[in-house]
Formats: sequence, C-alpha cells, structure tokens
Amino acid sequence: MNLEKVVFGFFVLLAATLNFGFFIGDISRPELHNIYELVAALVVSLIATVLKFGDRTQIGAVHLATSLVADLQLIAAGVVWAVATKMSEHGLSEGATAAMVSLSGGALVANMVSVVLLVVETASFRRS
Amino acid sequence: MRTLLRVFWNQLFGRDERARGVQRWHTSIAPGTATSTSFFLIMRRMRAPLITLIVIFAISVVGFTFVPGQDASGAPARMDVFDAFYFMSYTATTIGFGELPNAFTAAQRMWAMVTIYLTVVGWAYAIGSLLTLLQDRAFRQALATRRVVRQVARMREPFLLLAGYGRTGELLGRAFDALGQQLVVIDKDPDRIDALNLAAFRATAPGLAADARNPHHLGLTGLDHPYCTGVLALTDDDEANLAIAMTAALLRPELTVITRTLSRVTAARMHEFGTPTVVNPFDRFGDHLRLALRSPAAYQLLSWLEAGPGAPLPDRADPPQHGRWVMCGYGRFGRELTADLRAEGLEVTVIDSTRPVPTTGEGPEESELDDVDVETAVGLVAGTSNDIANLSLLASARERNPRLFLAARQNRPENAPLYTALGVDSLLVPTEVIAHEVYAQLSTPLLWRFLHEMPARGNDDAVALIARLRDDCGPDLPPLWRTDLSPAVAPALADWIAAGGATLGALLRSPEDRAQPLKVVALMVLRDGTATVTPGPDFVLAAGDQLLMAGRPAARRVMEALLFDDSLVAYLLTGRHVPSGWIGRRLLQRS
Repeated sequence: MNLEKVVFGFFVLLAATLNFGFFIGDISRPELHNIYELVAALVVSLIATVLKFGDRTQIGAVHLATSLVADLQLIAAGVVWAVATKMSEHGLSEGATAAMVSLSGGALVANMVSVVLLVVETASFRRS
Repeated sequence: MRTLLRVFWNQLFGRDERARGVQRWHTSIAPGTATSTSFFLIMRRMRAPLITLIVIFAISVVGFTFVPGQDASGAPARMDVFDAFYFMSYTATTIGFGELPNAFTAAQRMWAMVTIYLTVVGWAYAIGSLLTLLQDRAFRQALATRRVVRQVARMREPFLLLAGYGRTGELLGRAFDALGQQLVVIDKDPDRIDALNLAAFRATAPGLAADARNPHHLGLTGLDHPYCTGVLALTDDDEANLAIAMTAALLRPELTVITRTLSRVTAARMHEFGTPTVVNPFDRFGDHLRLALRSPAAYQLLSWLEAGPGAPLPDRADPPQHGRWVMCGYGRFGRELTADLRAEGLEVTVIDSTRPVPTTGEGPEESELDDVDVETAVGLVAGTSNDIANLSLLASARERNPRLFLAARQNRPENAPLYTALGVDSLLVPTEVIAHEVYAQLSTPLLWRFLHEMPARGNDDAVALIARLRDDCGPDLPPLWRTDLSPAVAPALADWIAAGGATLGALLRSPEDRAQPLKVVALMVLRDGTATVTPGPDFVLAAGDQLLMAGRPAARRVMEALLFDDSLVAYLLTGRHVPSGWIGRRLLQRS
C-alpha cells in the first residue's frame, strides 16, 4: 500500500463529494447551497492540486490539469458569491445563485474526471 | 488475441521500422526530460508547505465566520466568508490593515491572535522551504544544467566541445575566443566552470560541471548538436579522454576528435575508434627538440606561430648539436626523448633511479651526477615527474658545469616562476604544448600544413621569414588568415588572374600609394594540394589558390577589399583611378 496514493485518493474523493454536496439541490434557491460547503470543496480541491505537484507521470499531469480546472471553477463560484452578496443590490438573487451553483457544477465534472482517472490508475496498476 | 494483433502489426510495419532504424545512425543521448528536473523538484518539495498554508487559511477563515461580532450600533454581526478571507489576506501577509468591516469584539480579537500566529508559522515554513530549496546543491546543479542545456540548444554557429578545462583548456579557450570560435566546455570540477564563467571571453562559452565520461553529459553539452564541429578531449585523465574519444567516434563518427594522452598504449586504443588526432606532449617535445637541434630558427618560428595571435617572439634556443647529453629520469618522457636524441646522432647517458633512493623520492641522488660526468656533457634534461627533484637537479648540474644546456619538464603550472628564475634553456610544459598543437590544427588547416612544410626549408629561410614578419607586422605575432582566390570568392581578381601573369607582388600593394608594398606576409600558397612556402613577389597566382597570410587587421581589411573592389585592383595594376560607381563609369566611357 502506498501512503501517498491513499492520501491523494482521499482528497480527490473528498473534493468530489463536497462539491457534489454543494451542487445538489434546486439550482436557483440560495438556502439549499451552503457557502461553507463551497469553502470546504475549494480548500480540499486546492490540497488535491498541490498533492499532484511534481508528479512526472502522464496520468499525474492529467490529474493536475483536472484539479486546476476544478480550482478555477470553484474560485469563480466564490467570486460570484462575493460579488452577489457584497456588491449587488439584490443580494444573492436566483440568477446569481444559479450562476454560482452551475460553476460549481463544472468543477464537479472536473472532479468526477479526477475520480475516474484515479480509478483507471488503480485498475491498471498491477497489469502494466 | 493481443499477440495475434501484435504479430500482424509487426508483419505490416515492423520491418520498415527496423530498416529505418539502421539508416538513422544518429543516436539521441540527451533525453528532454532531464531539463525539467529542477521545476519538478521545486513542485515536489513545496507540497508540504503549500498544503500547510492552505489548511491554516481554511481554519482561520472558517473560524472567523463562527466567532460572534457586532457592528457599530452594537447589533450582532458575524463576518461572512468574504470578509474573513479579506481580513486573513492582509493579516497573513503581514500587511495589517485594522479591524474591518467593524471593530472587533473580544472574541474576534482572540481568534485573530490565534490566526496571526498560525499564519506566521505557515508563511515562515513555506518561505523557509523555498529558500532552503534554492540553496540546495542538487537543485542549483539542476538549474545550472538546465541553463547550459538551453544555451547549447540555442547555438546557431559551429562550436567545439571542449572536455576538460584545465590549464590547456584555458589557453585554448583564450586563443579560440580571439579567433571568434565558439566553445562549449564540460569539466568535472565546478571550480573550473566558475573560472570559465569569470573568464572575459567575447562570446559566452557555456560550461557544465559534470563528468565527461558519461555520454549523457556529453549529449547535454551538445555532442549530438548539428552545429558541433569537433570534440577536444583534454582532461588530465587518459581513461576519461579515451572514453570521450570513444563516445564521439561511436555517436558522431564524422566529427573531428582531438585527444591528449601521455601513453602510447592509450593512443593506440584511441586509434581503434575512428581517426582521432592524438596529441602526446612528450612525443611532440622530442620532435621539437630535434627540430631545434637541426634548425633553431625554424623551431623558433614554429613555436611563435603555434602560440597564437599576439604572442611575443620567443627566444631562439640553441641546443648544442655535438656532444654528450645527460637524461635524468627514464620514464615515459625520458624514453621518448632519449630515442629522439639518439636518432639525431647524439650520445645520451641516462640516469634513472630505479634503485631505491632514500630521501629525494624520484630524483637521482647528487652523487649520480658525478657518475655521469656532467663536466664533460653539453646538455642535461631533467625529466622526472617531480618538479622539486627536477629543479634541484638543474641547480646542481649548473653548479658543476655552467655552460650546460638545460632542458626540463615542468609538471605543475604553479612552478613556472621557479623554472623561469633558474633560467632553463628549453622547458616542456605539457599543457602549453597541447594547447599550441590543438590551436595550430584547428585555427586554420593551412597553418597546420605550413608548420609541416616549413622546417624542410631550412634554417636560413626561417630566419628570413621571422625578420620579414617582424619588419612588416611588429614584434608580436600578427593574426593569420586564409585568403581564397577562387572566382566565386574573389570576383574582382578573376579577370586579372585569367589573363595570366598575376603576381603576388603586383597585388600586395598599398591602396594609397601603389609604390608601397602592403604590410602583409604571404606564408604559403596551396594549389591543388601542393604547398609553396613563403612565395616571393614574382609568384604567379592562379584561380583557386589558397593563401595563408599574416598581417595586422588593417592590412587584412585592405586585402579583403581587394577581392571585391574592381577599381582598387585596377589602380594597383595600372596606376589609374577607375570610378567604382556605375554612373562614374558611364561618364568615363562617354568622355
């Protein structure tokens, strides 16, 4: 058992599940999407990204890429939330919520790809 | 199924692939991944500090959103994630702004204190890790390698790969830099590479501190670069030189390879791989001494020309041609030199302390000089591999016989002043012999040819040539260059040469006043493989002649202008000034 792989798998999965938890629910209802879940998803996703730093394998590079995409989307979602609550007159409106949640949905896709890659990597580990 | 497919695939394409592999002799020895090592190294080492920082930020930000606060009116007002992140951003980066958006409550201040210390630890850890990484030897080595590899890959003019930057490499580097020849250097010793980087060369010579015996390192320094024209294996280790010559011969058989060695066995092994030029300084010194015995002026000229542009004229050594020589030290050097001296018909007495000597190590004992009767000898060679022994030998021999011709082998560069102070007549410095030899071979092929042809012309010709060079070009060795008289390179001269009767003397005249000869010296003319040494003014030129010229840079510019400028040639030949422009000529034709 490789501890590095365990830690990485844990963070990738956690990022995906947190992201999913934030994403799920009616896209336009702010009360269904907790900002803390977004924060948690972003933090865990950032950690997963850093864990892939310096991995020179091909699959490691793809992991890094998908994590960076997820980070970017989640940061964008966070920015949408901040703009809506702080600068917009209407507060966290339905549209703003939808924008934020759909961005996190994009990140969710990237996280899912990460999970798929993880599974592929694990499955092909013995055979190569 | 898969095997079947593979067989099928091989049948279809396999043979073709193999055939292509045979044709492509070029073997890649520098994988591209090596260059990005340093980047991955940073990323890998920065993992832990970055994750620590992220976690600290996350804890601090989330914590702030839970700590109760109040706004200016006293109503409860908690920070949200945005405010908390804002506060943490300026706190953690030690900018410090104040308590925003509202003045803090006691609970918020307590948490702020916790986060301040937490983040300071996090930053200190991250920055500390980064600094440690930057000072890490392996990392800096990786960075330096990467820089060199990039410099080499970017080279767009022919360069020589110099392995071993010792005293020889330094001398050569300076001489080649004066010629505008690019170099790439590899040396095991990082101090030598630092010395290379500090050397004030006109063109930067990339230097890599690595073991040249490793083909991979040679690849990094451009062995498989298309602009690499030659490999110089000049380390002080015969085995390393052999390895480099081997690598070069196997991977780039078409390259010029020059290596040095002190042993004939290694030289023979080097010749088994391709056709390297092997320089053996002991062998060359023997040849030089023989030349000096036969024709001192020719030897003086040879050592002057080999020393490179700007070298002062060396003194003319005058070794005694008759009489008995004493050879001290009968190692590789002694054996070579004894054979050379005997071949010149001289009598040689050899002292070799193969018998145990109590104190001085390799040198013969004082009393041995009595045995060989130094008083009646004419020359003495101190040729042991120990400078101190050599020096003491020379001193005691001179004391016994002040008229003795003293030749010595200098082993370590730092002892040069001692030999100079002792006034040795002929000194072998192996590093200099090699440097001069390699320079003569690589600077211009004509010079090498000239040095082979010149001694046969005898002493008087050499005396005359030295006098001409000094009169026309000054006391220091002028630059040498090659002039090609083929019609494509010298269009202005083509008609004149084709008409016949084109003499060297008629051409080499000052463009200001054709009565004055141009201050250049034609050392040699090469025509269809036949060399004419020191052609006189009556020498008739032919198309395709190659001239080895010596002269000051100004004279060289004039001479190069002659190759193109019709009007200049016309003036030199006829004395009439012909307009060089098209309009001027038209007007002249009208009138």
